[in-house]
Amino acid sequence: MRATDRSRVKSPWILHFDTGSCNGCDIETWALLTPRYDIERFGMLNKANPKHADILLVTGPVSMKVAPRLKNLYDQMPEPRLVIAVGNCACTGAPFEECYNVHGGVGKIIPVDVFIPGCAARPEAIIDGVVLGLKLWKRRAFSPNASSVSAPAGGVEVKG
Amino acid sequence: MAVDWTQLTMQMLLVVLSPVAVGLLFGIDRKITAHMQNRIGPPIIQPFYDLVKLFGKRPMVMNNGQIVFAYAFLILQAAALALLVSGGDLLIVFFVSGAGSVAFVLGAFSARSPYSFYGSQRELLQILAYEPVLLLVILLIGYDRGTFTVSSLDMSLLPALSLALIALMVVLVIKLQKSPYDIATAHQEIVSGPYVEYSGPYLGITKLANWFEVAIVLGIFTLFYWNEDALFSIAGKVTIVAVALFATQVLDNATARLTRERMLKFTLLFGILLVALNMALVYLSKEGVF
Repeated sequence: MRATDRSRVKSPWILHFDTGSCNGCDIETWALLTPRYDIERFGMLNKANPKHADILLVTGPVSMKVAPRLKNLYDQMPEPRLVIAVGNCACTGAPFEECYNVHGGVGKIIPVDVFIPGCAARPEAIIDGVVLGLKLWKRRAFSPNASSVSAPAGGVEVKG
Repeated sequence: MAVDWTQLTMQMLLVVLSPVAVGLLFGIDRKITAHMQNRIGPPIIQPFYDLVKLFGKRPMVMNNGQIVFAYAFLILQAAALALLVSGGDLLIVFFVSGAGSVAFVLGAFSARSPYSFYGSQRELLQILAYEPVLLLVILLIGYDRGTFTVSSLDMSLLPALSLALIALMVVLVIKLQKSPYDIATAHQEIVSGPYVEYSGPYLGITKLANWFEVAIVLGIFTLFYWNEDALFSIAGKVTIVAVALFATQVLDNATARLTRERMLKFTLLFGILLVALNMALVYLSKEGVF
């Protein structure tokens, strides 16, 4: 494996974005940073900045108001990047799917690579999802000068 | 004049290896910090993974000025380190490195982003806080030894200038972007300050330049010990650097971020006071009082 590919897998920096979640999935996501789960041992850091991030973790159903912001954040992330939908709401919209103020899942706005179901998604499942995403990354050839890298249609689902 | 090739090769190796050493030190730092927080932490070579990954990402730039200033930051810091290891003038090292820091601030100012602006204002304040202390310490070295040339500093500075060494700790904490003085890059507060608009390879360049910057400050720390025996000399230098870094780690994990005003007040008052006291001691010993 090339050094850059290896480094990419070893150092995924995360941007967490809440598109209207009830905070359940957010709390589980934040739990990853605690000594109990300690995702820094995989080199993951929470960067709170789309320009530094490699992985976009989205929680919650995408509301009308937040959709353009989600798109904006996604566009600001330099490639290669991954999008991971955390929780049932982010995957499909779940109970909010047909609400008048909600688009539904994250996949309606931006291409999603990994879906992590659960209400709320467990921290272990989120770690599994990220690892699965990184495996996808290994398979996908990326060169910094290629025009675009498309996500697999429909994404993959973590068996919760 | 004949060129001493072995010496030249040694010096070039040192310029290349110093940032690598600083990267490893950052890795050890993250590991120790993790253990202090009851975590396992990333592998020691994690900073290199981060750097290589950043260089492999697609470049996204705000404007051309940003790139030019990022390169200027790197080149000036590398030049300052090259001057230091080749036994050059400490004052020139200080000014070249200072110019590099200002280039970084200008790069951050060139992007029209509130966080970037705010971060670079704070970075300027930090420069205002540590530069006088660093300059005074270097002037004190010159006053004590009668020369600013690194290659002719063939005596331990530690016995005469121990207070100045403590004052240098303030500079180290700011350069390492650690609490309580991680004011410019304050995460959670202003994201990552001057770094916020840099992404991909250009973020990598600014990170690498910061490694050079830290290598220069640690290089000044190593000047405080010197021995006839090269082995003793190196052991002493490594000990000083290790103790200083461990002290910053304990500080980082034990303190919260202070305000800008308190940083300025503390560094200027405490730092300048210590250096002035040390200067008085050096003066008295030169006059033969003790």
